[in-house]
Amino acid sequence: MSRVVQDGGPPGPAPSGKRWKKSSKDVDGHPVDHWILVSLEEDGPVWPERDRLQLLNADIQRVDGEAKVTGAARYSHDVRLEGMLYAAVLTSPMPRGNYEVDLDAARAVEGVEVVLDIAGGTVRYLGQVVAAVAGITPDHARDGLRALALEMEPEDWAVSPEQSKAENAPEVGRRGNRRAGRSRGKAEDVAAALEGCAAVVEAEYREPVQHHVCLETHGVVVDYNGGEEATVYASTQGTFTVGGDAAEILGLPESNVTAIVKHMGGGFGSKFGLDIPGDIACRLAKEARRPVHLLLDRQAEFSMVGNRSGGWQRVKAGCDAEGKLIGMQAEIETYGGLGRGSNPGLPYIYEVEEASSMKASVMTNTDSSRAMRAPGHPQASFAMESIVDELAYAVGVDPLEMRKRNLSDPAYQRQLDRVAAEIGWEEHEHKSVPGTGDGWTATGIGFGVATWGGGGRPSCEVEVRISSDGSVVVEVGTQDLGTGVRTYVTAIVAEEFGLPMSAVVARIGSSRFGSANASGGSVTTACLAPSVKAAAWGARRAFLERLGQALGVDSDQLSFVGGEVVDAGEAGNRRSWKDACALLPAEGLTERGKWKHQLAGNGVHGAQAAKVRVDLKTGAVEVLEMVGMQDCGLPLNHLALRSQLNGGMITALGYALLEERVVDAELGLLLNANMEDYKIPGSMEIPLMKAIVDTGDERQVVIGMAEPAVIPGAAAIANAVFNACGARVRELPITPDKVLAALGRV
Amino acid sequence: MERFELARPKTLTEAIELLSGEWDESGGRSASPLAGGQDLLTVLKEGLETPERLVQLRGVEGLGGIEVGERKELVIGSMVTVAEVGASVEVQRRARVLAEAADGVGSPQIRNLATVGGNLCQRPRCWYYRHSDAPCLKKGGYECFAYGGRNKYNAILGGGPSYIVHPSDLAPALVMLEASVVLHSSQGQRKLPLSEMYVLPADGDVTRETVLAADEVIGRVLVPPLASGWRTSYEKARERGSFDFALSAVALGVRVEGDRIAELRLVLGSVAPVPWRCRGAEALAVGRRNDAETWAAVAEAALEGAEPLSENGYKVPLTKGLIEKAMRRLALEDA
Repeated sequence: MSRVVQDGGPPGPAPSGKRWKKSSKDVDGHPVDHWILVSLEEDGPVWPERDRLQLLNADIQRVDGEAKVTGAARYSHDVRLEGMLYAAVLTSPMPRGNYEVDLDAARAVEGVEVVLDIAGGTVRYLGQVVAAVAGITPDHARDGLRALALEMEPEDWAVSPEQSKAENAPEVGRRGNRRAGRSRGKAEDVAAALEGCAAVVEAEYREPVQHHVCLETHGVVVDYNGGEEATVYASTQGTFTVGGDAAEILGLPESNVTAIVKHMGGGFGSKFGLDIPGDIACRLAKEARRPVHLLLDRQAEFSMVGNRSGGWQRVKAGCDAEGKLIGMQAEIETYGGLGRGSNPGLPYIYEVEEASSMKASVMTNTDSSRAMRAPGHPQASFAMESIVDELAYAVGVDPLEMRKRNLSDPAYQRQLDRVAAEIGWEEHEHKSVPGTGDGWTATGIGFGVATWGGGGRPSCEVEVRISSDGSVVVEVGTQDLGTGVRTYVTAIVAEEFGLPMSAVVARIGSSRFGSANASGGSVTTACLAPSVKAAAWGARRAFLERLGQALGVDSDQLSFVGGEVVDAGEAGNRRSWKDACALLPAEGLTERGKWKHQLAGNGVHGAQAAKVRVDLKTGAVEVLEMVGMQDCGLPLNHLALRSQLNGGMITALGYALLEERVVDAELGLLLNANMEDYKIPGSMEIPLMKAIVDTGDERQVVIGMAEPAVIPGAAAIANAVFNACGARVRELPITPDKVLAALGRV
Repeated sequence: MERFELARPKTLTEAIELLSGEWDESGGRSASPLAGGQDLLTVLKEGLETPERLVQLRGVEGLGGIEVGERKELVIGSMVTVAEVGASVEVQRRARVLAEAADGVGSPQIRNLATVGGNLCQRPRCWYYRHSDAPCLKKGGYECFAYGGRNKYNAILGGGPSYIVHPSDLAPALVMLEASVVLHSSQGQRKLPLSEMYVLPADGDVTRETVLAADEVIGRVLVPPLASGWRTSYEKARERGSFDFALSAVALGVRVEGDRIAELRLVLGSVAPVPWRCRGAEALAVGRRNDAETWAAVAEAALEGAEPLSENGYKVPLTKGLIEKAMRRLALEDA
């Protein structure tokens, strides 16, 4: 079908699965433009329109759910091998100093097989591994650690930012303890802008160091017996980030080392590469010529494998009488131990006419911070959303309206309106002045917004295999951090062939399979899903072509529908999937797929609202309700997306109310390196939660959304506390002591 | 954890024999009784105590059961679990404060294993005491690090030279109920008001929280009946509702006649090294109207003499608030 172009636009809406394409045709020696209908797939795979999807864009139960809840799923922690040794590490109880250990005494302990000095006599941070022992049981390894009789000669340290910034502070980093970061804008321009403001607020905000608290601690099991090959069972966010370093330590070619990540118990940004425990395990295995199991105990986990950096932010900001942000000046310090820490800078998401910010990292003798779900963003969000809120109340503008006036993107307008409606903002009694409660308790509502990239890139190679008995396998080396990767990999392939989920098996988590990127920055879905789609799409086209040949019909008139191959031609034949596959040759059919740019997008938005009840007598904050809304382009699995949102909100709740690394700077001790004293939310803390996938985002591309889910919740809770009772708590976590202080009762 | 021998006696006499020994300088002993193990095992794992023998009390005759005695007193075996106390209809009916305190302990998993005796004898939660690299006063060292250190959860009353708080939920409730404990050791059997089992660090051995001998175990807890007209309540403030020790706790009993308070008992938990009975506040309440003004006055009196450290000043208003909440609750229930 074609039409001559007359008015420059297509002749009308294209039918499903097709699009209009402008084409030039030579008519009597003159080029004439025509509109022609072409298949959407002409240039490669595209995501079908949403109403044509059978499995995707709906709730899909996770395929490994049963294995996980029954304990059948085997994590790296669970790996048990013939002749395997159990390793344990001794961490430095001091932040800085020289030490001696009695290696021979440890070696003499019954059941101890290998003892290694790891740090060579000097430690630079609290929790640094000084020695490692491998024994025939975990208890024997621990006996070995005790026999080391660690003796330390302390050197001056700085474990708190105050110590690090003090005069005559010991040198922590080789380039100074306070390292300037990026500056933006000019302070004098902001100062001028602030002069004309209807309200100016200046405040300091503080964020604690937060831990990842992965349920499965960091570590690996190395299967090595002194031969030519090794397998590393790793709790990692990157199947392909492990083998190279392991091979180097074991003295093997990289191709002889396989990394396996069947199931892993959470990473949140802290598990890339072979890492410290993996490195040590390989060294122990090499010496023992036996498999070694080294997964950290909880104390070591809290001490040495990173965290979300703490921070301090001083912000001065002003707005006009309507709440439009005019000027903002920010000073930011990040506390990332021996690392730099992170903060994306202020004014974060908001639009401010004149803004300036200065950033610096203050280094301490503690383990380096690592990426943690939306690195730096919750910190920036807490300061920014707080000061936006403070200004809203200062000029008497509804805090919801205040946000909408300073965020032009329609996605934020849409999402803020929805979360406000869901949490009952309209009926809420006190919007632009805080409440007072009844003398015993007070209830309030607060808001926050989030942003993230979540885009993909070429990095995955996926194989789809159809056997002549009808079985379908999709294989890629990628890892499932618990997010549901295995499930959407299965679903994309099943969707392509009109098959039920149960007809497709996804094999992932092995470096022997096709390559895949590490899971960081919420890029996995946007990298992987397009590659899976491309492989499935290619397999479908190839299969249809073969079927066409075998059946002697035009493959264009064949399609896969509801577990059958349907011939749309005159015959109208139907053939079961199994029968169709029987027409394949003995080797079946194999297709590989790589990333296609048209299947992935970038850039997501989110908004959250929290409702809290503050106990005015005890300062206790109870979160009653949280609503989170998030866009992500084409939603693959709504159930998994809502789970991500719920998980993000729970992590944010912990950040808001409970979580904080506590150190005694004077003694140089980490005081709460266990799950009793480091408090993460439990069942009683979970509020009524509503997670909403923003279907108003009509982009037909997939985008990652895991990280932004964690960003705005803490600020929303802090703002809700203020809305409830006028207690502005500018330091997280918002524990009763701080609420009572903000209420003027301490 | 160091290796130890596990002894499994059948009788109390055997258990006491197996426990024979003395307290050492760091508050430990060569043999420790093992009840539910919910505290002891963490103490052992941290290496805070290194007994050579654990004497398992589960299996010892006569330490179980919740019964109502001849004088209507509750008789609670020391090996009764905290969950059993919370679920007991007799406890709920006769001593609600105790059932509520039991329900507030730890998590369901812990309550299912933890015992009454173990809960009453548990060691402090102070960060420094629990840290094997902090040789603090409680472990035979020379300094209470909490005093000048991170002391958010430490004592505001009765502190010095150690500033631990007693972490038990059951203890304040039982002290408020004026319960006694029956103790067994090689010296025989003795009955002691529970309040006298605990000792302030300034008054006793700073490495221990009780007057128990090294071979002494609690056999039963006796809870005398409250006269009719008494109402009781346990209020526990904590940072994490799912599983947390108290920032402060209030065990309250009130008997009201008309619109006046006839009798009041008030014991605070987690604010002092021992369950902290507020006699002054109790006396002040008598004869007053049961109204908000009195609740505030009682709260004020209860916290008189509080001496907060650098990071726990909040415990003063928090505890006052808890007292007011508890008194209001009972007043509303009566209304």
